[in-house]
Amino acid sequence: MFAERKGGGGREGKDPGAAGSQPPTGAARMGSSEEDKGLVAKTLAGDRDAFGILVERYAAQARRVARAVLGDPDDADDAAQDGFLSALVKLAQYDTRRPFGPWLMRIVANAATDRRRRRNVRQAESLDPALVGGGPRPDTVAMRNELGARLRTALGALSERRRTAVVLFDVEGYSHAEIAGILGIPEGTVRSEVFHARRRLRTLLADWKEQTP
Amino acid sequence: MKDSQAFDHRPDPELGAALRAALEPKDDQKTFVARVMAQYERALDRATIPTLDVLASWFRPGMAAAVAALIAGFLIGRTVLAPVPASIDAAMAPFEGPGLAALVTAQDPPDASVVFTSLVDQR
Repeated sequence: MFAERKGGGGREGKDPGAAGSQPPTGAARMGSSEEDKGLVAKTLAGDRDAFGILVERYAAQARRVARAVLGDPDDADDAAQDGFLSALVKLAQYDTRRPFGPWLMRIVANAATDRRRRRNVRQAESLDPALVGGGPRPDTVAMRNELGARLRTALGALSERRRTAVVLFDVEGYSHAEIAGILGIPEGTVRSEVFHARRRLRTLLADWKEQTP
Repeated sequence: MKDSQAFDHRPDPELGAALRAALEPKDDQKTFVARVMAQYERALDRATIPTLDVLASWFRPGMAAAVAALIAGFLIGRTVLAPVPASIDAAMAPFEGPGLAALVTAQDPPDASVVFTSLVDQR
């Protein structure tokens, strides 16, 4: 499967999902897709550093997707790691005619779902009354943290498929068709899941805006 | 974000940014990368060596099962293929003759010559 292993430590690599708050555009992801294929080929040839660059590129994205599925950040990191290592083992099965990101995210999402089933993690994070009911007016950083906590709680209240779909679409910038491939569901179902998730999260955001000066 | 954006085919930047911030890991990305790469060799070893281990562990039981199956097949085949006489008369028919009658009706232990004569007669 793999040629003789080469390389030592990892190298700096560009993370398409880490820089900035905007999701990667289709063109940007197409550009990096060719580089991804080169890195995959090198990894299959036994180049350890090439795999390190792939991990660096997709680490942030994989951790976010796993967290969308699992909720708990530590569980999410374990699942993301499982996903990367599983992808490494299955790398020979990767079809280089297709983009690498959705293939990897499918493995990561499956790893997160498996971990969720194994550990019998509750579907929704516990609702913190202090967060939901509001409290004393905090400073800006604390407010941002509070918004994050509320969003995570709202995500936790959605079904696993729904929250994964909306994160893949609005955060990671995948198309409906790509998400359908990642989640193994029809494209129409992806549209519906994203729509319902957005409606719920949009209400939360709107409420938040009303509360903040 | 407007209501119409719920069905928009494009990502919603505002919602995306808020969700990204909410899901962003707190610790350094490099720590995570190092953690994954620390398992690199182990993952590849697990992917290849266990296959051989599994095959090796199944070799002896497999061979034992194969030998047992061969023996059972041989015994069953021999039982099935052996001719079964229809009756005791049919079974005794090949041995009928003066030698056999003398052997069965005699009060004394059989003389060896009678036995041999009976056998020779069957030839």
